[in-house]
Amino acid sequence: MPKLSLRQAASTALTAVALLALSGCGFTEYPNSTFNHHTDFNTAIDALFQRLIFWGTIVFVVVEAGLVYTIIKYRKRPGGPKPRPIHGNAALEITWTVIPALILVLIAIPTVKTIFQTQADAPAGALKVQVIGHQWWWEFRYPELGIVTANELYVPVGRTVEFELTTRDVLHSFWIPQMGGKRDLISNKTNYLWFTPNADLGTSAWNGFCTEYCGSSHANMKFRLYTVQPDEFDSWAKHQASPAVFSTTPAPVTTPVTPVAQVSGADSTAPTPATTIGYVFPRERLETEFPHVIPQTPYPTGLSFDDALLAGGDPARGANEGFMLGGCIGCHAISGVPGAVSEIGPNLTHIASRHTIAGGLFKNDAPTLARWIKNARHMKPGSLMNTIGRGEYDPILKTTNTGGLDDRQIADVVAYLMALK
Amino acid sequence: MATLAAPACATAPASTQSGLWSWIATTDHKRIGTLYLWTALAFFLIGGLEAALIRTQLARPNMGFVSAETYNQLFTMHGTTMVFLAVMPLSAAFFNYLIPLQIGARDVAFPRLNAFSYWVYLLGGIFITLPILFQVAPDGGWFGYAPLTTNQFSSGPNIDFWVIGLQILGVSSLAAAFNFITTIINLRAPGMTLMRMPMFTWMSFVVQFLLILAFPPITVALVFLLMDRFFGTTFYAIAQGADPLLWQHLFWVFGHPEVYILILPAFGLVSEVLPTFSKKPLFGYNVMVYSGIMIGFLGFGVWAHHMFAVGMGAVADSIFSLMTMLIAIPTGVKIFNWIATMWAGEVRFTVPMKFAIALIAMFTIGGISGVMHSSPPADLQQTDSYFVVAHFHYVLFGGSIMGIFAGIYHYYPKITGRFLNERLGNVHFWLNFIGMNLTFFPMHFSGLLGMPRRIYTYDAGQGWDLFNLLATYGTYLLVIATAVFVWNFVRSRTRGAIAGGDPWGAATLEWSIPSPPPEYNFAQIPTVTSRYPLWDLKDPSWHEGEDSHGDTGTPGPSPLREETETHTAKALGIPMPYPTAKPAFAALGLVVMFSGLLFLRNDLFAVAMTVTLGGAAMLIGGLYAWLTSPLE
Repeated sequence: MPKLSLRQAASTALTAVALLALSGCGFTEYPNSTFNHHTDFNTAIDALFQRLIFWGTIVFVVVEAGLVYTIIKYRKRPGGPKPRPIHGNAALEITWTVIPALILVLIAIPTVKTIFQTQADAPAGALKVQVIGHQWWWEFRYPELGIVTANELYVPVGRTVEFELTTRDVLHSFWIPQMGGKRDLISNKTNYLWFTPNADLGTSAWNGFCTEYCGSSHANMKFRLYTVQPDEFDSWAKHQASPAVFSTTPAPVTTPVTPVAQVSGADSTAPTPATTIGYVFPRERLETEFPHVIPQTPYPTGLSFDDALLAGGDPARGANEGFMLGGCIGCHAISGVPGAVSEIGPNLTHIASRHTIAGGLFKNDAPTLARWIKNARHMKPGSLMNTIGRGEYDPILKTTNTGGLDDRQIADVVAYLMALK
Repeated sequence: MATLAAPACATAPASTQSGLWSWIATTDHKRIGTLYLWTALAFFLIGGLEAALIRTQLARPNMGFVSAETYNQLFTMHGTTMVFLAVMPLSAAFFNYLIPLQIGARDVAFPRLNAFSYWVYLLGGIFITLPILFQVAPDGGWFGYAPLTTNQFSSGPNIDFWVIGLQILGVSSLAAAFNFITTIINLRAPGMTLMRMPMFTWMSFVVQFLLILAFPPITVALVFLLMDRFFGTTFYAIAQGADPLLWQHLFWVFGHPEVYILILPAFGLVSEVLPTFSKKPLFGYNVMVYSGIMIGFLGFGVWAHHMFAVGMGAVADSIFSLMTMLIAIPTGVKIFNWIATMWAGEVRFTVPMKFAIALIAMFTIGGISGVMHSSPPADLQQTDSYFVVAHFHYVLFGGSIMGIFAGIYHYYPKITGRFLNERLGNVHFWLNFIGMNLTFFPMHFSGLLGMPRRIYTYDAGQGWDLFNLLATYGTYLLVIATAVFVWNFVRSRTRGAIAGGDPWGAATLEWSIPSPPPEYNFAQIPTVTSRYPLWDLKDPSWHEGEDSHGDTGTPGPSPLREETETHTAKALGIPMPYPTAKPAFAALGLVVMFSGLLFLRNDLFAVAMTVTLGGAAMLIGGLYAWLTSPLE
C-alpha cells in the first residue's frame, strides 16, 4: 500500500476531527461540549482524550484503508490471478500483535498518571459543597457557609471546589460536562469530586445533569452551575446564609394562626434577615449570553391556572394560610420560619433568587410556580411532591384531590414564594 | 445465483414430519435450530419496534410521543429483548443448526435437553415481553441497578417480571451450554481434532464456557433481588445499610462476558463466510482460536470498567483500565487476520460476504471507541452519555447483528434448500448499512456534546437537536431495511432459487450433505483429515506448497464422501431420537412454577403456593417421564 496516500488520508481525517473538536468549543452552538479547558480537571481529561482520538484515528484509517484496498484489489475478476492458499504468517501476526500493544502502552501511561492526578485529595483550602441526590432534584449545602439550596450552584472562579456526593435514595450521577468528568452518588457511600474553575474564567452559567438512571424523571434531574467572580460569590453566599427576607406589614386580620412576625423571621431569637439582597446571576445575562440554561420545557396540556389571579396574590396570606396550613411545611424548610424545617423537599429560604425550579425542568416565575404547586405530578412525571390543587387529578394516586388549595390560595402562596428573594 | 445451484437433490423434503405437534415434540437439532431462528427473529422485530418508538420520542426536543413511564419501559425492554431474546437466541439458532453438522455428528449430545432449552426460552421470552402490552413492563433498565429495583423504589409488578424472567432465561442458556460443550467434546467425527474444528464451532465452544461461568453471578444477583422483593431480605435494602455496589459487581461480572457471548458467535460466522468467498483458508487459524480463547478469558477480568464513575479508587481504576486495554490486542488480531484472509484471494461480493466485510469495518469503530472508554478519566466524560450508546451499538449492531445477517444469508440455502433473493438481499444490506451509520454515528457527537443516556426527553437549545433527528431518520431506514429482509426471508422459503448441497463452494462438512440436510445429517459418519475437507475432496492439491500452519493432516485425497441423496433414517437403519413433548411440558412447568411468585405481590399467598407447587409438579413429572423413557 503506498505510504503517502495513507499519510494523506490520516491527516485529512485528523483535520476533520480537529474541526469537530473546535466546533465543539463553540459555546452557543454546543453549550454542553466536553472538549474544554475551563478547569484543571477537564484540561487533564481533554489532553488524554486528544491522544485517544489521535491514535484511534490512525488505527481507524489504517484498518479501513487496508480493508477497502484489499477487497478492491482482490475482487473476483475474469482473468484475475488464482487465489493463493496462504494459511498464515507468523511474522506478520506477531507484528500486528505487537504494534497495537505498543500503541496501548502510549495510552496506558498517561491514563494511569491522569487517574492518580485527578483522584488525589483536593488541595487545602478548597470550598466544600455537599451534593445530595434526591429523586429528582439536587440539594446543595455549603457546610462552612451555612447555606442550603437546591438545583443551582454558585462557585467562585480560581478556587478549588470539592464536592462531597451522597444520595438520600437511589443512585444518581453528578455531571457538568463543561467542567469535567462525572461521579456517581451511591447510597450508603460518600464520593468526592473536585475541580478548579480557571481564575480567568468569566462569570458564566453551565448545565449539569444526572447521568445515572434513577427512575421516572431521570431526564428531568438537572441543575445549573454559575461560575462567578470571588466578590460576587461572597455577596451571594452572605445573603443565602441569612434567614428568609420576607417581611410584611401587619398581617391581615383574617390570619387564623401564626403571627406574620414569626413567619417573617422577625422573632427575637431568629437571626436578623439581610436588609439588602445579595448577588444573584442576572437573568438578563442568562437570556442573552447563556440561553441554554433557561428551560424551555412547555407546560403539560390539561393543566390550567387563572394567571389573572397572580397579580392579586397576597404574600402574607400565602405564608400563613398557604404555606403553613396548605401542607407545604410538611416537606419544605424556610430558614427563620419556626417549624419550617423539613428536609424532604428543596429548601425554599431564598427560592425567588433561583432561576429554575423542579430539578431545572422549568423557569422559576409566578405562572410556572402556580402550576407546579397546583399539580406537580402533572408537570413532572413521578414527582414526589403532592398534588395541592383542589379538584386536581393525581396521576400517581389515581384519585382526584378533594382538599387542597384553590387557584386564589395558590396565587397567595406564589406571591409569598416570589417574595423570598 | 442460478449458476451456483447444483441440480442434485433439488426437491428433497426436510423431513417427513409436519404439523404443529411435530414441531412441539421435535428433538431434531435442525428443527430446534429453526425454531430458535424464527422465534429470535420475531423478538428482534419486537426489540426493533421498541427502538423505533424510542427514536420517535427523541426525534425532537420536548416531544410528547410517549410518556416518561412508557419510555422507561421501552428502553428497558429494548435492551433486555435484544440481548436475551434476540441476539443470544439467534446465536443459539446457529449453535443448534450448525455445530452437529460442522463436527460430523447426527445430533447434539442431549436432544431432549436441547428441546427443553428452546421451550424454556420461548416461554420465558413471552413471560418477560407480554407485560409491555399492559404498561407494567420492567422499567429499571436492562442492567437493573439496585436500589432502584428494590421494593422501596419499584413497588409495582414491573421489576418482578424482569427478575423472574431473566432467571427463567438463564436456565435455558445454562442447559444449552452444557449440552453444546458435551456435544463438541464427545461427538466429533473421526479425525475431527479440536484444532481442525471449523472456526464457528470453535467460537461457539468458547461461548458455552462463558455462559456457564457468567450466568452463576447474575443468578446470585437475581436470587438476592428476588428474595428482597418477595421475602423481605435486605441484600440491597439501603435503609438497612446495604451497599448497592454489590449488585453492580455481580451484574457486570456477568455483563461484560455477556458482551463476548453476543459477539464471538458472530466472529465465528464471518470466519466461515470470509474464507468461502475469498477462496482461501482462514488466515492464522491457530491464532484465531487462541485469540478467541484469550478474549473469553480476559473478558472475566474487565467488568469494573463499567463502573469507573462509582468511585472505586485510583488503584482499582488503573487495574481494570489496563486489563481492558489488553483485551483490545486479541480483538485487533482477529480484525487483521480477517483482512489477511481476503488478501491475495478471490473476493466475491455475495450478500453474506458484504455483511461479513461490514462487520470488520463497523466493529473496528466500536473497538476504537471501546479503547477510549478503557481510559477512566476519558470515560468519566463518556460513560452514561450517548457516546457509550454509539459505542456499544457499533459493537452489537455493527458486530453481532452484521455477523448474524452474514450467517443467515450464508446458511439459509443449507437450512431451506433455497437461496435468499440476492437483489432484495443487496437492498437490505445497503439500507441496513447506511441506516445503521445514520442512526449510531451521530450519537458519538451528541454524547461528546453532553447528552446523557436513558433520558426520555431533552430540552431545546442544547446543541443535540440535529444529531437526534439524524439518528431517528436512520432508525426509520433500518425499519425499512428490516421489512425488506423479512419479506425476502418469508418469500424465499417457497420461491427462492434451488441451492443444492454446496452452493457457495465452501470447505466444511455441513456443505457435503444435501440442503436441507436429511434428519440423520450424515448417512455415513465422515472421516476428517484436515480443516478444509471439502476443498481437499474437490482438489486434493489445492494448497500444495503452502505451510499449513499446524494442521498436520495427511496430505492426499480426502476420505470424505459427498452425499447427494436424501433417504429416511428408517430406510438407512439409523436410530433417531423419538419425538417427545415431555421437554416442552417440563419447560411449561418451570415457567408456571416461577409465575406463582407474581401473586405474592398482591399477598395472594394461597394462589401463589398453588401455582408454584402445581408448576413444580409439572416440571418434576415432566422430567420423570422424560428421563424414564428411552431416547431412541
